[in-house]
Amino acid sequence: MASQNGLNLDSLRITPETPVGYELQPIKKKAAIQLMGSRVWGRFNPNHWDPDYARSTGLTDPIQTGEMSSAYISEMCVNHFGAAMFKNARIVCKYIASTIANEVIVTGGVITEKTPKGNGFRFRADIWAANEAGEKKTVGWVEADVGV
Amino acid sequence: MNNELKPQSAVQEAQTRAFVGALQQGSQTYWDMVEIGDELSRDLHITPELVILYLDPVEDYNPWYEGWRMNSWHIDGESPFGGAIVPPLLVSHFVLSVQFDHTKPFAIGSIHTFHDSEILEPIPVGATVRITTRAIDKYEKRGRRYVRHEVHVTDTATGMLYFREVRDILSL
Repeated sequence: MASQNGLNLDSLRITPETPVGYELQPIKKKAAIQLMGSRVWGRFNPNHWDPDYARSTGLTDPIQTGEMSSAYISEMCVNHFGAAMFKNARIVCKYIASTIANEVIVTGGVITEKTPKGNGFRFRADIWAANEAGEKKTVGWVEADVGV
Repeated sequence: MNNELKPQSAVQEAQTRAFVGALQQGSQTYWDMVEIGDELSRDLHITPELVILYLDPVEDYNPWYEGWRMNSWHIDGESPFGGAIVPPLLVSHFVLSVQFDHTKPFAIGSIHTFHDSEILEPIPVGATVRITTRAIDKYEKRGRRYVRHEVHVTDTATGMLYFREVRDILSL
């Protein structure tokens, strides 16, 4: 299915034929303070949404919960792995730097391994989330079975 | 203080300060709250509305997760597994509400630094899951203090193991 900007969304899916080196298409989000402080995300900790409190603890501005970047990365992985992300998949994320309010975060990933398994392969990809200057905030890897 | 990031009236500012003040009362560091071997468990009913509350702030609009839609309200939804399913890391997000003993003041200032998550089976929207956390390590690295937990998420009705995780919290 081609979208209006010409990107074929069906072509995103990783298949047994997908090669090592294939790059995942990014997801881009703005770290908006009003979303960072919503009840099921950062409301319990004012470092995630209150500029005054955040500055009192030495931060320049509120920081996003790391799990929001994991959710962005997970969205990218579902776009590419589809149903395979929901059964026998594994995702590892390390939060190496804080995402500051108002930063724009872009996810990325690249297939690094494909190991034969059953009738298909277990794929492994390096994954990350970075700001627009390319400073990485979250790094890790994901594994999923395709065509197994 | 008015702020470009979060414009507020005087009333909102006073409400904010009262809320933050209440969060800080009686709070301990997470390091002091937890002993290795501590196990906590709670049941979470993953309603269609809870899934939406989780998804909207991260702006994920994948239709596979929708068991609730404006105008229609409750719907069965559609996914490759039949009805609507729960996003891969939703239960990971709610682990925080289990590993931090909810009967005590929240240890503000703690930071989640790492997770190694195994998504074993799809979770249908509407399921009730049991999230069990066990503190397996407390360690110091480069002058910082970390608490490590292992997590299991099962279906309360069938016992199916949906999700397993190891995660670290950096404590003040």
